[in-house]
Amino acid sequence: MSIENVGNMNKMLSNYSTQDWTKSAAIDQASLPKFNELNPNLAQGAAAPQSFSEIMASSLAEVNNMQVEANKAIQKLASGQTKNISETMLAVENAEIAFKTMNQVRMKVIEAYKEIMRMQM
Amino acid sequence: MDLLTSLKISSSGLTANKKRMAAITSNIANAQVTRTAEGGPYQPKEVVFGSEPARESFAEILEGQLEEKAQTVHATEIANSRKPPVLKYEPNHPDANAEGYVAYPNINTMEEMANMIEASRAYEANINAMGVAKSMAMKDLEIGRN
Amino acid sequence: MKIDDKTMQALTASLKFRQLRQELHASNIANAETPGYKAKKLDFEEALARALDVDDQLGMKTTDSKHFNVGGGGFNNLQPEIYEDSNGIVDPTGNNVDRDQEMAEMAENKIMYDATVQLINKKLGLLKYAIGSGQ
Repeated sequence: MSIENVGNMNKMLSNYSTQDWTKSAAIDQASLPKFNELNPNLAQGAAAPQSFSEIMASSLAEVNNMQVEANKAIQKLASGQTKNISETMLAVENAEIAFKTMNQVRMKVIEAYKEIMRMQM
Repeated sequence: MDLLTSLKISSSGLTANKKRMAAITSNIANAQVTRTAEGGPYQPKEVVFGSEPARESFAEILEGQLEEKAQTVHATEIANSRKPPVLKYEPNHPDANAEGYVAYPNINTMEEMANMIEASRAYEANINAMGVAKSMAMKDLEIGRN
Repeated sequence: MKIDDKTMQALTASLKFRQLRQELHASNIANAETPGYKAKKLDFEEALARALDVDDQLGMKTTDSKHFNVGGGGFNNLQPEIYEDSNGIVDPTGNNVDRDQEMAEMAENKIMYDATVQLINKKLGLLKYAIGSGQ
């Protein structure tokens, strides 16, 4: 499994942004790094390519943020502050898909690591 | 949880409206009756509704949050209408009195028909409420099923 | 993603209150012709919103870990407000129930109830998925 797929996963995660139903947590597409240019030894200031672990960490934070926003949307619906059921359902569904995608990414990454470790040197 | 109380309330509404329908159809059928077993013309029937707290036992009231708020309805009284009979001048009628007047029940058939439509709508509304309570209870069974 | 976080508590509380509201609707519809009966209503949304404190705007801040969190998380003591509707046209027998409005509100309550059950299912489903590690 090439690392490019992980990059695509990342982009897919960012596409399920929360812009549709809340005003916060706007995901800035421009700052997502390109995996092909990854080189931890190059330090170019603020635009330095991030390491893979940092990318995973930030994606995790985004997925968690989506969960938080989905919870807020549910609370607003339950307490009657909004009557827009479709918005709430979409938010919850998005958060769930993001979470499940993240989980799949995690499993693939672990599998790739195990595969690499199995390589005879 | 308390949807069973909801069913009890709606079914009390159904029963009360059925009694009202019975009274209305009796009135319409007997609108021209001048001779009854008790003597005199037919007495139009009217149904009076009253409400009672839905939870009757003290234990139910203690554990329920609504206390006596939700009310069942009962047809508390099926009374004879107090409208006086209508007198019509028909000297040749077998039931005419000494002056030649016959006493007819004071029943306005149009009014009774309107009441019947109203009772029918009330019946449907109660059926609707019962259906909603039942489907909410069925929905409860789906919690956790995915 | 806790089992008993604020959102789940809000959802289960709203289930309970909507059932009570259905009782009142059934009572109003059954008594739509009873003389002297006034329509009854149940409001729980405000109490729930206060307990939820969705945007952290209503709660009081604590500066020490030993301070009690006043005003938050009181889901067990939520009291709905049950009152008699003073609006509405009172007919000659003293009854002010509008049966069509009751039916409309009952339909809305039912839809929101279904939505609440769906949301509970979604949250539980996600939890189960996480437990089963997505296999």
